[in-house]
Amino acid sequence: MAADVAAGTRSAAAARLVAARRLVYLYFRCLGQQMKAIMAYEANFIVLMFSAVLVQLAGLAFIWAIFQRIPDVNGWTFWQVVMMSALIFVTEGVGSLFFEGTWRLSYLVYTGQFDQMLVRPISPIVQVLAGAVGFNGLGNIVTGFVLIGIAMANVPVQWTPGRVLMLVILLVSAATIRVAINLASAASTFWIRSPWSMVPMFVHQLGDFAKYPITIYSVAVQALIVVAVPFAFVSFFPTAFVFGVEAWSLAGLLTPLVAIYAVVMAVWIFRVGLNRYESSGH
Amino acid sequence: MPLIEARGLTKKFRQAVKEPGLVGSLKHFFTRQYKDKLAVDHIDLSVEAGESVAYLGPNGAGKSTTIKMLTGILVPTSGSLVVDGLVPYERRQQNARKIGVVFGQRTQLWWDIPVVESFNLARDMYEIPPRRYKENLGQFTEMLGLAEFMNIPAGKISLGQRMRADLCMALLHDPKLLYLDEPTIGLDIAVKDRIRKFIRSRVEERGTTVMLTTHDLGDIEDICKRIVIIDNGKIIHDGDLAKLKDTYARDRVIHFQLARPPESIEPICAELPACELATDGLRLSVRFDRFVFAAGEIAAAVMSHVEVVDFRIDEPEVEALIRKVYLGQLSLDSPSQPAPAVVEA
Repeated sequence: MAADVAAGTRSAAAARLVAARRLVYLYFRCLGQQMKAIMAYEANFIVLMFSAVLVQLAGLAFIWAIFQRIPDVNGWTFWQVVMMSALIFVTEGVGSLFFEGTWRLSYLVYTGQFDQMLVRPISPIVQVLAGAVGFNGLGNIVTGFVLIGIAMANVPVQWTPGRVLMLVILLVSAATIRVAINLASAASTFWIRSPWSMVPMFVHQLGDFAKYPITIYSVAVQALIVVAVPFAFVSFFPTAFVFGVEAWSLAGLLTPLVAIYAVVMAVWIFRVGLNRYESSGH
Repeated sequence: MPLIEARGLTKKFRQAVKEPGLVGSLKHFFTRQYKDKLAVDHIDLSVEAGESVAYLGPNGAGKSTTIKMLTGILVPTSGSLVVDGLVPYERRQQNARKIGVVFGQRTQLWWDIPVVESFNLARDMYEIPPRRYKENLGQFTEMLGLAEFMNIPAGKISLGQRMRADLCMALLHDPKLLYLDEPTIGLDIAVKDRIRKFIRSRVEERGTTVMLTTHDLGDIEDICKRIVIIDNGKIIHDGDLAKLKDTYARDRVIHFQLARPPESIEPICAELPACELATDGLRLSVRFDRFVFAAGEIAAAVMSHVEVVDFRIDEPEVEALIRKVYLGQLSLDSPSQPAPAVVEA
């Protein structure tokens, strides 16, 4: 009996694993279709790549401008701030490159094309996420990683294997938080039925606050980007942890938990919104 | 246990009421006004496995809304709905595995990539066994004539080709239930014919249950045995197509072409009581109840009095019948009440 139960739990776990693998596989299959679609328009593809490079250069110029004017922000060194910006760049890039579909949700919902996602045997969330590829994200990712490299080379940190592993975990968590925020804000379209909802853009812009140390802001802004829309866990807290800034590094360890919280909330908001979906042309 | 079972199914939409113009929009912005629209109003519907049902109604009657609830796209406002043991909107993904959906106005195909790639993606999504996939794709490609545009992106093929490809995609995973929302809209006769034949073959070979909305009555006669008519969100008729014809479209008309103008039609009238006769020069037409007279009897009666050069018989037209229902000139009975023997529509 006990063995049966154990076997049952094992097979249930195995089934979940298979289901998860299937989702990831289908996600990349859907994304692959989008890639092919983009490649189909060669000229457009080239322009996109070019614009990605431009964004990259603009990002570097921006950092350089900061370097010229403010060598030290509220006790935070230049390279620490660079690290924060870089994390915002990288996660934004990951969001565009792999999860650009969230930006199309309001259009799909407004036109009723979202119907199709509800009659396929895959989670609509996966379909939404895989609904588009933003090659411009490549520029942000490359810029971000270059800046992370430079920042780390300029800050004396003892690189233990544990710290390297933690950096990887933090990067993944930061990107997850960013994508979850995108998804949740995109889901606002189920309430605001307009073809181009401004809510996702507004929420996205809040991310800019997190390019700088949160200590420079008022309590209200801090509460906003720590609790309500946890962009601070995308950049500020991970940076504090990686560079061992005593006062904040412990909070940095919370980042993976915040990632889980963000995903759960985003999925919940999406599901509640989904039940309000009214399609179009009845 | 029916495959589809709906009880008191209702969908209410909230519509924003705006006065025209910028002022109207501004007013709406500050004092929001809404009114409720009952798109589907307490309908009861049960469909058995293997049935093919035509779901008809004028524009805005609630057809698409019903289909969207059945497919799990929309959450009903009230009422109960079970499709093959599942509540569609609660179990969308499980439900999706069992159904195929074709919306005539939209496509399931990926716009920018070759049609065959969309099919391959469907194979992965629905986890269709490779052998079954190959078999179905082969068969459907031949029946629907897909080979010529299989490698062309969906955005670059014609509407007729797209519909055929969409139909193929919707059926690759052998769904139990096929929902078709205006599948032949805007298509030419040859394509319509091909599509209807294909759907009929699915019904006959696989026992696929079909629920079809259309404005094209050719679709109905070719595919469906049962028709359900909805108007203003309420089901106003549910029954057998043949029975509908027998009850409300019993009249046939025979048109005769005569050799000479008839002197009088009185003697013919006397022989054919309860028939309507009309003459116009060399033409004579007789309207009769096909359950009272056989066409042969009419012809014999006419020919015994006048010389007939040619004649033709008009079958009762479903289209005319449905049009009358839409216009409110004919009220059909709800399925629960016994149908009275009304002859004249």
